[in-house]
Amino acid sequence: MGRVSRRGAAGLLVGLLSLTAALSGCGNESADGPVTLRFVWWGNEDRAKVTRAAVDAFQQRNPDIKVETEYSGYDAYFQKLSTQVAGGAGPDLLQLDRATVGEYAGRKVLADLGEYTGKDLGLDKIPANLLEGGKVDGKQYAVAAGATTQMLIFDPTHFEAAGVRVPTAPGEKWTWAQFAEAMTQVGAAGQVSGTTDFGWAVDWFEVWLHQRGKALYTPDGKLGFTAEELAGYWEMIGAMRSDKGVSPAEVTTKMDGSVQNSGIVTRQAASEIGYDSAVTGYFGAFGPNLELAPLPSDVAESGMAAMPPVSFAVSQRSKHKAAAVKLLDFLVNDPEAGKLLGASRGVPPNEEIRAQVCSSAEGGSKAVCDYEAAQQDKIGPAFGAWPTGSSAIKRDFQRTYDDVIFNRVSVADAAERVVQDAEQSLGS
Amino acid sequence: MTQSVLTRPPVPADPPPTPAARGRRRRGQGVAYLFLSPWIIGAALLTIGPMVASLYLSFTDYDLFEAPTWIGVDNYVTMFTGDERFWHAAWTTTEYVLVSVPLKLGLALAVAMLLNRARKGVGLYRSAFYAPSLLGASVSVALAWRAMFSTDGTVDRVLSSVGLDLGGWVDQPQYALLTLVALAVWQFGAPMVIFLAGLKQVPRELYEAAAIDGAGPGRRFLSVTLPMLSPVILFNLVLETIHAFQAFTGAFVVSSGRGGPSDSTLLYPLYLYQRGFTDFRMGYASAMAWVLLVVVAVLTALVFRSARRWVFYAGENR
Repeated sequence: MGRVSRRGAAGLLVGLLSLTAALSGCGNESADGPVTLRFVWWGNEDRAKVTRAAVDAFQQRNPDIKVETEYSGYDAYFQKLSTQVAGGAGPDLLQLDRATVGEYAGRKVLADLGEYTGKDLGLDKIPANLLEGGKVDGKQYAVAAGATTQMLIFDPTHFEAAGVRVPTAPGEKWTWAQFAEAMTQVGAAGQVSGTTDFGWAVDWFEVWLHQRGKALYTPDGKLGFTAEELAGYWEMIGAMRSDKGVSPAEVTTKMDGSVQNSGIVTRQAASEIGYDSAVTGYFGAFGPNLELAPLPSDVAESGMAAMPPVSFAVSQRSKHKAAAVKLLDFLVNDPEAGKLLGASRGVPPNEEIRAQVCSSAEGGSKAVCDYEAAQQDKIGPAFGAWPTGSSAIKRDFQRTYDDVIFNRVSVADAAERVVQDAEQSLGS
Repeated sequence: MTQSVLTRPPVPADPPPTPAARGRRRRGQGVAYLFLSPWIIGAALLTIGPMVASLYLSFTDYDLFEAPTWIGVDNYVTMFTGDERFWHAAWTTTEYVLVSVPLKLGLALAVAMLLNRARKGVGLYRSAFYAPSLLGASVSVALAWRAMFSTDGTVDRVLSSVGLDLGGWVDQPQYALLTLVALAVWQFGAPMVIFLAGLKQVPRELYEAAAIDGAGPGRRFLSVTLPMLSPVILFNLVLETIHAFQAFTGAFVVSSGRGGPSDSTLLYPLYLYQRGFTDFRMGYASAMAWVLLVVVAVLTALVFRSARRWVFYAGENR
């Protein structure tokens, strides 16, 4: 290569680079002109429909703000989100869950909402324990998009056919032994398993721990359980597997928290443990013939809690934070938005809106309102926020459980591995 | 294109170039580089730049969102000494390569030989067998694959109807990797077309001479076809091995990005992806990418070295 041309090529390169830099610096913030926001979430079809309707209502009221929306399934959502944020093309308003609020706030992706609170963002009608889930190191990074509680959703036809009664009346409860008995009977009677194997999700183990006065994580962000406790829990579930009380490994391994892949919607299980924020999704994918019951407990406390199923947060790098906060405020505090959204992310977080919505709810939203009302006395305050590293722990938990159900490792060794992996994830 | 080459005045070569001529030659080179520039810029910005960046990142702790911090060779040390899943993924990929590449090449050669013999409709069959290679890397085919091999999918039903009740392949750790192998083997079209072209080059008289000497079909295959085809086999072997080490889409789609059930489809590139984009350890993922590059380069070099023993080039004296 000649000297001249080498210099020429280098000059060309430098020129191109500076051009790219100049282009990416072009998005100036204009205070007044029309702004365009990007708002992303994950969820089912039903959630997308009502959220778009609420966004339309917002745009009508704020003609100078345009909102582009995007939604996908849970896994795809986070794959896309991390790439977009890293590439500087992240959304303005985004949806996160307990495992990811801490993750994204800790990595300085989220804006501190403190400066907007009380002005553009009203939080006074949202219960304090719901807001707690959006706080990291005392700062409000996210706002609960709803309130949800653990539940067992079931198809009553299978239970009636097996002659099993599920406690659904207010105040009624059942023990883990009764639960196991009921599921095994349903499994023995019919084509489907009693319930979808629930050992894969760390969320239900959390309830089990709370019934024993323990927690997944201590308040200072350490691991709150031992390998022996996890082994005991998994062994209890394992005892139900051999009698079709819970779903077989081939079914369980496909669980990803989405409604369309769930055991009950794919007609492979008669019931399933979940959050009641997914009920409208179940009704949409399965049909309205489903009922809700509380989780079993051997003690007075149910171990269940009112929690934010998902939260909304504003990106730190957003060029239109104020507009994004305005949309956030609209979604959680506006009566019209509340009516449109219904219980698509659990019952509304704003208690006034919740009362209004529940008084006129139908279908899945009504089922959620009724269940929340029936369990009111048993639902405890929200569990604390999960620390950074918890999304890795959630994944490792499920992965290791796969090894358990396919008999690749003993329960005791698997539980030991979960604890070791978790301590590593919390440390990093 | 050809036209312009032909009509171009011949470059005066012999007399020592005057300064003016040298300048002209430089200008000529400048034009060449100008026309090359789309490729040069593309390669620099999209390939070489990112590669250098990833080499740097492999020595850092980088979570995608905050600035990377230099940690020396820690990523490499962790990988080789403290990461069971790394070794598991490496082994799974080795299994995948060892099974899928020979099967794919074998099938490609077999079909190419059949087509080579056919008289009618070769074009149609060639296109039909090549089609999967065009579709194969796409997500939609992997989705179809997952549906076919899942519980109560087509494969499960057909096998169950003949009394082989194995359940869904993609849902069981002992069969899941096989579905990926099947997906890869099914896309034998590209090597098949290359084999077919190679077979057409084998001189007929070699077969005739062999036949006259009393060689049967098996003997002719071993003593004529294989040696004459060995350069093409080498080419396909190298290409397919490199491809197989990079297999990602199938594993990603079939396991929904998780590598399950029970990590049985956790191919190396998928684990690399998980480390980078779901665990936010991009530095570690970069280190894994460089290890893969080095391993593939070394293996390719070994294959080329071994080629001296088994590849026969016509016209070569031995």
